[in-house]
Amino acid sequence: MNIFLHELKAYRKSTMIWTFSLVIMMVLFMSLYSSIHADAEAFLKVLKNYPEAIRNALGFNEKNFLTVVGFYSFLLSFVTLCASLQAMNLGTSIVSKEVREKTADFLLTKPVTRSQILTAKLMGAVVSLVITNMIYFAAASFMAFQFKADDFSMKIFFLLSLTVFFVQLIFLALGMIISVIFQTIKSVLTVSLAVVFAFYFVGMFFDTSGEKVKRYFSPFKYFDTAYIIKHSSYEPSFLIAGAAITILAIAASYFIYAKRDIHAV
Amino acid sequence: MDVIEIKNLTKTYGKARGISNISFNVEEGEIFGFIGPNGAGKSTTIRILLSLIYPDSGSAAIFGKDCIQFAPEIKKNIGYLPSEVFYYDNMKVKELLNYSASFYKKDCNKRMKELADIMDLDLNKKIDDLSLGNKKKVGIVQGLLHEPKLIILDEPTSGLDPLMQQNFFELLKEENKKGATILFSSHILSEVQRLCNRVAIIKEGKIVTVEKISNLTENTYKKFKVETKAPLDATYFQISGVHNLEVKGNVTSFIFKGNINDVMKKIAGVEIMNLWIEEPDLEEIFMHYYEKEA
Repeated sequence: MNIFLHELKAYRKSTMIWTFSLVIMMVLFMSLYSSIHADAEAFLKVLKNYPEAIRNALGFNEKNFLTVVGFYSFLLSFVTLCASLQAMNLGTSIVSKEVREKTADFLLTKPVTRSQILTAKLMGAVVSLVITNMIYFAAASFMAFQFKADDFSMKIFFLLSLTVFFVQLIFLALGMIISVIFQTIKSVLTVSLAVVFAFYFVGMFFDTSGEKVKRYFSPFKYFDTAYIIKHSSYEPSFLIAGAAITILAIAASYFIYAKRDIHAV
Repeated sequence: MDVIEIKNLTKTYGKARGISNISFNVEEGEIFGFIGPNGAGKSTTIRILLSLIYPDSGSAAIFGKDCIQFAPEIKKNIGYLPSEVFYYDNMKVKELLNYSASFYKKDCNKRMKELADIMDLDLNKKIDDLSLGNKKKVGIVQGLLHEPKLIILDEPTSGLDPLMQQNFFELLKEENKKGATILFSSHILSEVQRLCNRVAIIKEGKIVTVEKISNLTENTYKKFKVETKAPLDATYFQISGVHNLEVKGNVTSFIFKGNINDVMKKIAGVEIMNLWIEEPDLEEIFMHYYEKEA
């Protein structure tokens, strides 16, 4: 419990900054909605000039684009991208922070097991993400209610927003396994930027072909907003894939970390 | 009872580093010195004891329990001070010490204050703002505040000024009197001699010898350097107990172990300009141990 609280306190500042940035980003996008809605015709015309592949990649969907949830799901792809960076940063920090700040010796010579340490740190990171998502969702709902003009479904809105958290969990787990395997990560941000953007572009690239199988290669494509809007639910196969990756990565991290030599620095 | 039992411990990493087939025991209530040059394997051994790294073969037990299998349980009663101390930034000394204390299920507040007083440490400062020596003090208080039964120190004196070093040694002696066993690793012979009952000498990953400090001082090696008026015959000091004899012009130097009167008589037999008698440094003693082996 003491490690958990210590971690939570250590993440406090960065959690606040990330949360604030995500909310600002969402508010800016959402405030564009009313003007886009007013010039709907013109906007659609412009969009049509883009090749279909690019429209798909960016998540434009003509049918949905002018509804609140449709517009929201467009901005969600950017929110998810940033939120993934936050999660990846947290995940990568779990082990590498102790190595970089040379505090591993302090923590690991205390009467706790390594898995207790990982659990406490993981929980600290997850709770930070939960807090971010709760604040974000509250702000997003508030913004959405401002435009409650058309057929707005709170359930769909919630399901859409929750995908941010799910994608974050996947990246948290990926970050964790990376930091356990490569213990001496000098710059967390470089690593997380590289990994997150790699997956983002892989997702963008594969999405243009429209083949379902290829979507498995990028967590960014596990949650198809069009599908969620249409069915008010997630695609089970991708939900399972996401959960499997997360659980496997975390389990592997525990396994590797328990056997790892912690060298003096 | 043996507090630490190390049996045939081997750990290799890299090419030349690590330890091979190390065995020694530390008895309850003793201050045990662990001495050797940098890179000899002291830290490797200590890190295995703390289950920070795992041995390739062999085993180590603390309080009669395997130090890897029962690591969390054993560590309740271990206080560890690493050679380089780094602690979480943005924390006050007090916050860090409280965090450290929170791992042990007892009230460490009183002891923390006492220790901070002895070591002259300001609890309200930020750790970032501390000098190396003061960080070291944080490490000392951190390692002792839960009144451990076994204190493991890895080159603890670097960065401490002589006065603090004195306080620190007094503190260790006091802890020892109260029943704590101490494993003290160092590359400085004099501080080990000052504090320890027994000593293990390690070089290049192997234990060279385990001896009582009293034995070591009885068999003290002295380093002689004699400057004479006229050049000496190279064999003049060739008596038993003399090693590493070197003659360079008017200056003759050697290491001597044995009855010091024998040498003094020889020295009195020639007209000397100058005379130095020094404690040999560790390397020279090691050299002697290697000669003995060969």
